[in-house]
Amino acid sequence: MKKDNLKQFYKEFPSNPDVRVKALKAILEKEGLIDQKALDEILDTYQNKVGPLNGAKIVAKAWANKKFKEDLINNTDQVLKDMDLNGRQGEHVVVVENTETVHNLIVCTLCSCYPWPLLGLPPSWYKSDAYRSRAVREPRAVLSDFNVKLPISKKVKVWDSTSEIRYLVLPQQPPSSKGLSENELVSWITRDSMIGTGFPKPPKGK
Amino acid sequence: MSKAHDMGGRLDPRRIDITSSNANFKADWEKEVFAITLALGFSSLWNLDRSRYARESLEPQDYLQFGYFEKWLGGLINLLGENGIIKDGTESEDNFKKSSFRVLEAKNVKKLLHMGGPTKRDSTTEKNFNLGETVSVRANNSNTKVEKGHTRLPDYVKGRTGKVIAYHGSHVFPDANAHFLGESPEALYSVEFKSQDLWDKCEHVEDAVVVDLWESYLEKFN
Repeated sequence: MKKDNLKQFYKEFPSNPDVRVKALKAILEKEGLIDQKALDEILDTYQNKVGPLNGAKIVAKAWANKKFKEDLINNTDQVLKDMDLNGRQGEHVVVVENTETVHNLIVCTLCSCYPWPLLGLPPSWYKSDAYRSRAVREPRAVLSDFNVKLPISKKVKVWDSTSEIRYLVLPQQPPSSKGLSENELVSWITRDSMIGTGFPKPPKGK
Repeated sequence: MSKAHDMGGRLDPRRIDITSSNANFKADWEKEVFAITLALGFSSLWNLDRSRYARESLEPQDYLQFGYFEKWLGGLINLLGENGIIKDGTESEDNFKKSSFRVLEAKNVKKLLHMGGPTKRDSTTEKNFNLGETVSVRANNSNTKVEKGHTRLPDYVKGRTGKVIAYHGSHVFPDANAHFLGESPEALYSVEFKSQDLWDKCEHVEDAVVVDLWESYLEKFN
């Protein structure tokens, strides 16, 4: 059996993470291995361009258009590509639909895999040890931490993102939002409702 | 590699802190770590599976104490170390092959992030399981090629029985790719387990957990 001797080089750096990354960055800059403009562009992408609004647009369209919903579920990667919503950490996506009988919940127990192009970067709790440990064992207790209560008639299905497949929950449309336009629906769809830790709700002030 | 990162099903009394909800970054240094890690991910010196392995391989007590981006930072430094770019906390004096290091330029960021790194491969590899079939997960979830190597087979499903509910084609096999043993694509399935088959006390008999598992993680059910 082979061995892999990856060594702990990080211990040779200052332990304070702020100082540690400055020390690393100084080396990389000196060696010409990073371009500050590229770093700025990466941050701009994930801070300002990519976020849960992308996912919300897809969900709203699926609620408003039955044919689109079928395509989205059956031919997800092509549909996302056509809408320019594919990309890093969303190369292969599966959409799981909440119904009267099934509630879906997404987790990554081994790290923190998350559909970046559709939801942006994961919230802190998604990356926490508590969420990663508990979501598969006691999803209903986890949901109650989010003030989400499910009827006993619903099955909870937890999806552990162990491969490069990324999961997006298609939440149920609230009855009170029926008849609204696709644009109006977008503001009902919360990030958490697409992870399974929340429900869609009316936008504030309405 | 320890198993500190393999958290699924671990008993944890802590509530989920939902107030931590909206902070993608809690400090500027986290932004730096994130951006540098992504940029160097395009250097061609390692792959995504290797970078996961590097994070998982941090000293277990550090893995459990470090914040998320602190783990990223530790893993990144280890990857740079094994590539001879840094040594003893500073740049290495070895002549590493700078020519093979691709520096990410701003003009390519959009295109490369959009392209991502698909892991599905066209090659059709051996596929021994069918939709709806009951399968068993290997009883041992250690990497079979590398001692204490990387795997995406979580501890909580080893030796358990579930049902194949989806087939995703052939995907790069992390257990090999993380150690530069080639992509070795394998059939990838989603397997649904009844919660009551996983946990002594389950919350509801109808509940289920779905895990994505590669061909060689699975065995015929007897």
